[in-house]
Amino acid sequence: MAEFDEVNRKITIKLVYYGPAQSGKTTNLMRLHDLLAPDLKGEIMTLETQNDRTLFFDLLPLGFRTPSGWLVKLKLFTVPGQVAHDATRKAVLSRADGVVFVADSQRSQSVNNAEAFQNLEENVQRVGMDFSHMPLVVQFNKRDLPEAQIFSENEIRQRWSQTPWPLVFSSALVGEGVRETLFKLLEQVYPALDRLFGLQQEHDVGQQAFISAVLGD
Amino acid sequence: MLASRLLSALYWGTELEITPLPFDRDLNLQELLAGVSLERLGGILKALLGGDFRLLGADGRRLLGSEEPYAQPRRAEIHYDLDLLGQLESASADEARLSAAAAMIELMLRLSARYHMAAELHIETVHEDFAALQQKHAAMMESEARYKALSEELEARVREQVKIIESAQRQLYQAEKLASIGQLAAGVAHEINNPIGFIRSNLSTAQQYVSKLGALESVMQTGNMAQFQSAWKEAGIAFLLEDFTALLGESVDGADRVTKIVSDLKGFSNVDQAEEEIVDLNDNLRFACNMLAGQTRDKVELVMELGDLPKILCFPGHLNQVFLNLLLNAAQAIVDQGRIEVSSEVAGSEVHIRISDNGCGIPEMNLDRLFDPFFTTRQVGSGTGLGLTVCRDIVQAHGGRIEVKSKEGMGTTFTVILPAG
Repeated sequence: MAEFDEVNRKITIKLVYYGPAQSGKTTNLMRLHDLLAPDLKGEIMTLETQNDRTLFFDLLPLGFRTPSGWLVKLKLFTVPGQVAHDATRKAVLSRADGVVFVADSQRSQSVNNAEAFQNLEENVQRVGMDFSHMPLVVQFNKRDLPEAQIFSENEIRQRWSQTPWPLVFSSALVGEGVRETLFKLLEQVYPALDRLFGLQQEHDVGQQAFISAVLGD
Repeated sequence: MLASRLLSALYWGTELEITPLPFDRDLNLQELLAGVSLERLGGILKALLGGDFRLLGADGRRLLGSEEPYAQPRRAEIHYDLDLLGQLESASADEARLSAAAAMIELMLRLSARYHMAAELHIETVHEDFAALQQKHAAMMESEARYKALSEELEARVREQVKIIESAQRQLYQAEKLASIGQLAAGVAHEINNPIGFIRSNLSTAQQYVSKLGALESVMQTGNMAQFQSAWKEAGIAFLLEDFTALLGESVDGADRVTKIVSDLKGFSNVDQAEEEIVDLNDNLRFACNMLAGQTRDKVELVMELGDLPKILCFPGHLNQVFLNLLLNAAQAIVDQGRIEVSSEVAGSEVHIRISDNGCGIPEMNLDRLFDPFFTTRQVGSGTGLGLTVCRDIVQAHGGRIEVKSKEGMGTTFTVILPAG
């Protein structure tokens, strides 16, 4: 749930990158840090890793000022993907305004993807959010791997055709699809924020302007 | 299971003392400096800036340094991420020094923020685990209560079943008693029928004799002595009188026998409410043998070798039932023609009563189970399987025991051993 700080004139939005272990969540954040040029961009904070694997979370703060002078701040988090860190995953997930599910395109990872997605659904419910109304983008990462190793786009589209969420194919390592993923998530997040805080009415920030400001176009 | 119960028992009713704050909230300058010694920071800043300074929060409140506002201070902003957290003011330091000091503070804040977030996330997850533990505990208590209720219900049902079985067993016991009484009745009928038969036949002969004597009466009325004497002789009255006497004597014996049987029968008639009596068990054995003899005269030769026994205090009706049961079993073991030997003797402080037959015998594999309730080798419906169980119970109630020896095809010997005292 986004925070509305009247004293400091600040709106804080929380977006979470979720998914199985080593699917590329942290890489997404690192590329975003390189690719995006919003008004305000913080450094990536990485909280303890072990052999390159996230133990707590990574955090990338992004932000911009509205014409009304308010600070809109987005905090992009990653969760630890390993099964053992479920309590941490759940704590990071709580209060999220939107989720990117980073799936691993490799054929060998389909069980891990499915389990992680189910875990996301369970944890969303456990932290008291409504899964069916939560902004969610599903990203299939690692498209740069050899074709034989990964599911084809067709296969994936077919498998996910019955689901309501936008699908993005990406290669976070080379920076493809990373920006588009966030774009698609912001498209879903904006209407809820607008309803809550009157972004358009009171702060003169329409959807287009909001997304542009975050991505830094 | 035990360990987790112990653990939750230890924690139960206690609350974690730290209430978690959202780990991802924005922290202000004061919060971020909470772990830093302000006194030392103040000293360091003073040295770096070459004099007094003021550290202000985002809301303009002084956190560290001089209390008095400066007239025309130099200012450097202190940021953390996207937020302006405060300002550093100095009257003496130049721009470069001031911004370097502010940058150093920002570095410190960044480390502090990392620590705060990690610590608070940790607390949040610990809380979560604790809550999950409590939930598990509650679920476990619930399931334990369910199992307890279930086990109580099962116990109640077992008690109920035991009651039903006990009552069924009592009924079967009763049926067994009635069955042996039925067999007894058949024996008794036979025993009584025999004397009644010859008494009846004697009486009808006596009727003929009386009518013969009556015929002589009219001859005697004539007063002709010679004619009377010849009629007397002709009617064979001398033999008649002799036979009449014998016949009456025999009938009296028969009636006595019936009386005896009836009096013996009293021992059986009140099996259930019998009182203890002092008896000579040989009498009971003789009676039981008579009962059996009445039914099996054709095929069984019954031999009794009864030694002198001390009189003992017992329930004679019950022991009669034991003896009759064992005798009937012995008779049933004899297929065609056979022999049953009944003997009694004193051996030390015990009375031994032995009932042997030379019938079919008992297979060795069945010997151990012989006294088990409902164990029977007979066809369904022809025995309750309780006969020997009842016998053993009765003998045990008298402080005694039953021993059995058997060889298949050779015969079986049951020995009832009772204390003599």
